[in-house]
Amino acid sequence: MVKKQLPLLIGSIAGALVVVDLFVPRGWVGETSDQLFEWGQILAAAALVLGGVNLMQVNYPKIRRREEDWPYKVVLLVSAATMFAFGIPWHKIGGAPSAGGVEIQEGGGAGGKATLRVVAARPDAVVKIDGGAVPIHGKTIGKASGEGGAPIEVALAPGPHKVQVFMTPVGYQELDADFEVAAGQTAVATAALPLTWGQEGRFRTWTYDHIFAPCNATMFALLAFFIASAAFRAFRARNTEAALLLSAAILVLLGRAPIGRLINDNLPDITNWIIDVPNNAGRRAIIMGAALGAIVTGLRVLLGLERQHVGGSE
Amino acid sequence: MTADRLERSAKPPRTLAERLTTFDRRWIFLAMGLAIVIPLLYPLNLPFKPSPMVIALYDTVESLKEEDVVYLSVDLDPASTPELEPFFRAVVLHLKRKNIKIAIGSTWYSAPPLIERWVRDVVEPPQGIPGEDGYQGAPDRPYKKNADYAWLGFREGKEAVINRLGSDLQGNYSGRTSDGTPISSIPWLKDKKRLADFDLVILVSAGSPGAKEFVQQVQTRYSIPMVASVTSVMTTDLTPYYQAKQLLGLAGGMLASAEYEQLVGKPGLGAKAADVLSVGHLVVILAIVFGNIIYFTSRPGGVRWLRRLRRRGGGR
Repeated sequence: MVKKQLPLLIGSIAGALVVVDLFVPRGWVGETSDQLFEWGQILAAAALVLGGVNLMQVNYPKIRRREEDWPYKVVLLVSAATMFAFGIPWHKIGGAPSAGGVEIQEGGGAGGKATLRVVAARPDAVVKIDGGAVPIHGKTIGKASGEGGAPIEVALAPGPHKVQVFMTPVGYQELDADFEVAAGQTAVATAALPLTWGQEGRFRTWTYDHIFAPCNATMFALLAFFIASAAFRAFRARNTEAALLLSAAILVLLGRAPIGRLINDNLPDITNWIIDVPNNAGRRAIIMGAALGAIVTGLRVLLGLERQHVGGSE
Repeated sequence: MTADRLERSAKPPRTLAERLTTFDRRWIFLAMGLAIVIPLLYPLNLPFKPSPMVIALYDTVESLKEEDVVYLSVDLDPASTPELEPFFRAVVLHLKRKNIKIAIGSTWYSAPPLIERWVRDVVEPPQGIPGEDGYQGAPDRPYKKNADYAWLGFREGKEAVINRLGSDLQGNYSGRTSDGTPISSIPWLKDKKRLADFDLVILVSAGSPGAKEFVQQVQTRYSIPMVASVTSVMTTDLTPYYQAKQLLGLAGGMLASAEYEQLVGKPGLGAKAADVLSVGHLVVILAIVFGNIIYFTSRPGGVRWLRRLRRRGGGR
C-alpha cells in the first residue's frame, strides 16, 4: 500500500502544484514550485551518480563472464573511470601548489632603470608585462625563457608593474602578480606554473579536445555518407507520394545551398515557401498532437492512472 | 580453364541495366568525400543572400542598445560546431561592437570545454579589426571576465533547469559564476534575477534540451524576447515558433550561419563551408537521380510504367 500509493500521491501533489503555478505564479505556490524544481535539479545530479553505478553493475558481470564484445565494455569502463579521475581537482586536495611569486632584489638595472627577471619552470611559457604595454622582443606577449631555458631580463621604469606568466594551452596555473620596483633593483618573477586538474584541468581538457571531440564529430560527419548512400538506395519514386516527397527534397536541397540561387534566383524563395507553408502546416499538426498526448499522459500521472514510473503494470 | 570459368565466358555480356544494379555504392562515398574536401581546398565563393529569418535575427540583435544585457545559452557538442560555431563567432562580434554585456550558460554537459575555448578565442580578444579578414564593420574591443561577460556554467536537469532559469536564474547557478565570483558582485548582472530581466535571450542549440524547450518552458510564459541559431535538422521543428513570433529570428544550419556572417560583415568559417554545402547537396541529388535511373531501368516494364503514370496522372 505505502510502497505503491505513497509515491503516486507525492507525484500527484508535486505535479498538481507545478500545474497550478503555471496559472497562479504567486505566493507560496510559486515558492513551492521553485523549490520542487530545485529538488528536481538535485535529483538529476544524483541520477548521474546512479548512472555510473548502473554502468558498473551492467558491464562488469559481462566482462567477468567474457560475454560477446566484452573488450568494448572494458574500454567503456576504463574511459569512464579515466574521465572521472581527470575531473577531480586533485591539485586542490591538501593545499593548492603555488604558481610562483615576485621577489625584489637589490642590484641590476642601469641608467635609472629597474630590471624584471622572469624564471619560468616551463620552456613554452609566455610573459606579458603591464597587460602588454611593455614590449618583449617587439611584441605584447613574448616567450618567458631565452635560449636553452635561460631566464629573460626586461628593463622597466621604476614604479608599480604587473607581470603575467602563463601557458597558452589550458590546464596550468598562471602567475599574475603586481609588484613595485625602484631604480637599481631587480624583480625576480619565479613562475612554477603547476598543472591543474578538474573541469578546466590539463588532462581533462586534452582528453576532451583530442579524444572526445574528434570521436563525437566523426560520428556526426559519417551522416553525410549515410545520407548519400540512403539517397541512392532508398529514395525511389515508387508512387506519386514518393515522387512528390522526392521533388520537394530536391528543391529544398538546392534552395538551402548557395548553388540554388545560381541555378535560378527564385529557387530559395520556393524552398522558403515549402518550409513556411506545407512543412509548417504538418509540423503544427504534429506539435498540437504531441501536446495533447502530453496533456493526457500528464493527467493520467496526476490522477494515478499511469503507474509504470512506480513499477506498476499499467 | 575450369568448368566455372568456361561457363562464365559463355555468358553474354552484361547489359547496362544489369551493370547498374550491381553498382558499388562505395563510389558514392568517394564522391561525397571529394565533394567535402575539394571546395574546402579550392573555394568556389558562390554568392548567397540572407534569408528573411536570418535578417529578422540580425535586426533583433541590431535593435539592442549599448550596455544592454543578453543571456546566451550555448547548448551543443563538438559534432554540431561546424554548423553553429560560425554563428556564435558572428553574433559575439555583433554584440561586442555594440558594447552589450553577455551572460553565457549551458544545459549540455558536453558544451563547457567548447564554450571555455570560445570565450578565450572569441569573447575576450577583439575580433573585428577593420580591414582584417575582409571585415568592414565597426571595431570591437577586448571583453573582460565578469566586467563585460560572465560564464555562468553548466547545470544538469535539462527542462527543469530551463524552467528555473525563467523564475530564478541566480538560484539556478547557486548565486555564482563558473569561477566562483558571486553574481551579486557583478553590477550589470546582479539585478538579472530571471530570464525575463534580460534584454534578449540568444539560443545556440544543437538538440534537446535547446531552443524548442526554451520556447515551450519559458518564452510564452514570461514573454521573453528570444532568437535562436539551430542545426539544419532542427529548422523545420522551429519555424512554427518563428511564424508565431515566439522566436524573433531564426538561423537554421550552416548556410544561415554564413548568412549571419555576411550581415555582420565578417565572412568566416560559415562562408567557407557554404561551398561544401552546395557541392555536398549536389552529390546527394545526383545519388537520388542515379538511384532512380537504376530503379527504372532494372524493373520489368519500368519505362511502360512511366508512360502509364503520365497517362493517368497518378501512381501505380
